[in-house]
Amino acid sequence: MKIIGFIAVCITGWLLLSAINDFPDFGDPHSPANGYRLSQYYITDTFTDTSVPNMVTAVLADYRGYDTLFETVVIFTAGIAIIGILRRYGSSDKSVGRSKAFIEEPRKDLLIHTTCRLLIPIIQLFALYVIAHGHHSPGGGFQGGAIFGASFILLALAHNLKTAEKRMPERRILTLAGVGIFIYAGFGLACLILGNNFLDYSILHKLLPITPIEARSHSMLGVEIGVAFTVTAIMFSIYSNLVSSSRMKEGL
Amino acid sequence: MIEQSPAFILLAPFFTAIFIALVGIRFRWICFPLVLISLTLSVIASVCTLFRVLDEGTLRYFLGGWAPPFGIEFRIDGLNALVAIVITVVALITGIYSRQRVLAETPDKVSQFYTLYLLLVAGLVGMVITGDAFNLYVLLEISSLTSYGLIAMGPKRATLATFKYIIMGTIGASFYLLGVGYLYIKTGSLNMLDIHEQLVANNLLGSQSVMVAFIMITIGVWIKMAFFPLHSWLPNAYAFAPTTTSSLLAPLVTKVMIYVMIRMMLTVFGVEYTFIQLDWSNIVIWMSVIAILSGSVMALAQTDLRKMLAFLIIAEVGYMVGGVWLADQSGMIGAIYHIISDAFMTLCVFLFAGIVFAKTGNRNINAVEGMFKKMPLTMMAFIVGAFSLIGIPPTCGFFSKWYLIQGGINSGHWEFVIALLLSSLINAILFFRIIEIAYFGANPAEGHGHHHTEEPKRSEASPSMLIPLLCTAALLLAIGIFNDPIIRIITDFVVATGLR
Repeated sequence: MKIIGFIAVCITGWLLLSAINDFPDFGDPHSPANGYRLSQYYITDTFTDTSVPNMVTAVLADYRGYDTLFETVVIFTAGIAIIGILRRYGSSDKSVGRSKAFIEEPRKDLLIHTTCRLLIPIIQLFALYVIAHGHHSPGGGFQGGAIFGASFILLALAHNLKTAEKRMPERRILTLAGVGIFIYAGFGLACLILGNNFLDYSILHKLLPITPIEARSHSMLGVEIGVAFTVTAIMFSIYSNLVSSSRMKEGL
Repeated sequence: MIEQSPAFILLAPFFTAIFIALVGIRFRWICFPLVLISLTLSVIASVCTLFRVLDEGTLRYFLGGWAPPFGIEFRIDGLNALVAIVITVVALITGIYSRQRVLAETPDKVSQFYTLYLLLVAGLVGMVITGDAFNLYVLLEISSLTSYGLIAMGPKRATLATFKYIIMGTIGASFYLLGVGYLYIKTGSLNMLDIHEQLVANNLLGSQSVMVAFIMITIGVWIKMAFFPLHSWLPNAYAFAPTTTSSLLAPLVTKVMIYVMIRMMLTVFGVEYTFIQLDWSNIVIWMSVIAILSGSVMALAQTDLRKMLAFLIIAEVGYMVGGVWLADQSGMIGAIYHIISDAFMTLCVFLFAGIVFAKTGNRNINAVEGMFKKMPLTMMAFIVGAFSLIGIPPTCGFFSKWYLIQGGINSGHWEFVIALLLSSLINAILFFRIIEIAYFGANPAEGHGHHHTEEPKRSEASPSMLIPLLCTAALLLAIGIFNDPIIRIITDFVVATGLR
């Protein structure tokens, strides 16, 4: 089996390398991916189209917003699938072996507790900044959500899962994750109900006193917040499912 | 509102999935009716879309209002409209069927199950209607992740089978993505039609990297559809999954991947390139011949009913890949028609296997013993499905095989014709064995004496399982008898691609 695998890897590698001669030069500004009308259009027209200075976000959340919606759904699906596969309801006292330490035993370490108390608010504040500033500077819902989720994981690591679950019980996780997707897809649905295509944010200017182009920019902030909800919730959900052998103390 | 119909095919199951995730845990009873409502909406939307395609020609729906290649579009012609209908109808039928089995097999995870179920449907539909090569990958991820989750919710052995599927499936998806990446480097575009135009306009069809992209995409899709040497994940995954899961996955996943292969070959690379410039038909057809024969022979060796059917899927994949690569008009028509008919045939036999398992709790083929007496309606429906898989008129399996064989003769690939006929014979042996066991019992010589002593009572499966099975059987006959309009839509599509 190993030999077959080795041969397969060699053939694939050779195939991929054999095409390299054909590629445009590294960093060539006139290569199709750089110089062709698609990138040119994004570079020159993003601001006039969407009034968003960060064109990466504009491509991500507007031009190809449908892709990003489903990337968020990928994360959501992963969370639901992990709960579906691993979660065992009932008899929560039988948590076995190593995982018991993570769930129950409170750890009394002054140094760790104080550091966490200092760090967690800053982490969360920074996460909010990354989310809120996503459409102006590097950042956005995925990054901000991951940072926010990490703050809960830090809390669970420093104390125990029970403490973290008091702040973020399982039911709230699921609600947050679903609401996040609903926020994103809801923006799309609102556009559809008002008469435009799905995710065509420009029509949302009817709801607020802004121009259609500003409506795109504001909606991007809105969908980034939706993404952040889902990512935060699923990050922590995956952690708590894996660490507690799926018998969370504070169950449903 | 009618101009939004392409979006509704996907949005109905998608929104309902999220809604079920939110409220389904507290109100378990709400899941099942919501699933049925959303899938019915989806079926209606897809039928509307087909009629619009027939009236207006190819439909284009710009997501976010951005014209391609800057934004993503749904691009729907006769082919995707048909496949979308197949997906939504199969999902609806399986949805009705699922009611009891989900409560029995995964009682405390009903809401998670239905969330994943609807997301899988949304992913498959999204793959079919999209006109963007990268967007197809995103939805491929959705449909793969949900199917891993759905399979792993089965009994113990399902977990290992899923692990194998995850590894293989991820490799397949990565290969596809690599291919799309190579195409992007060369053309700077992700829209399928635009990629094709760029390839032709910039004279890129001779380039080595475009060929590598073609190979990568094709192999990736082959892994996902379980084409013969790359099939090893399929039998266990489908055999050990929960009943509802395998009845949904078996008809749809492999067929959607065949659709993706056809779309890539005909729309992105173009007929000229795939069939004339590369000219690999001979190799691929021999591979599909091996796939057909080995799939059928391995099916003969199985004693587990669902595993046997899973190996038949591998043979059927060989039919369709071969039919596509014949580079012949009727071969292509046969392959596309076979996508539709095979989806319903597979659905029919898998629903039957689910009923047998639900009634007897036994996976073995011998579990069907005495079924003719106990469940005559179920057996009738099964016979229709079996006849269709063998290829007996007037079921739809006959017509798709007819076109495939015609394509084989036209293009002079006699090995493909012979493989098709041999595999039909093996299917006949397989299914008549089951029918024999169901009629006479597993060991007719022994059982004969006791025949009169115990007359088994008639006990059909519950209506929620029986009615979907009967509907599927009726559909098999209907698609077969009224094949003319379907064939006409397919022919229009095939002629438009320039295949002769």
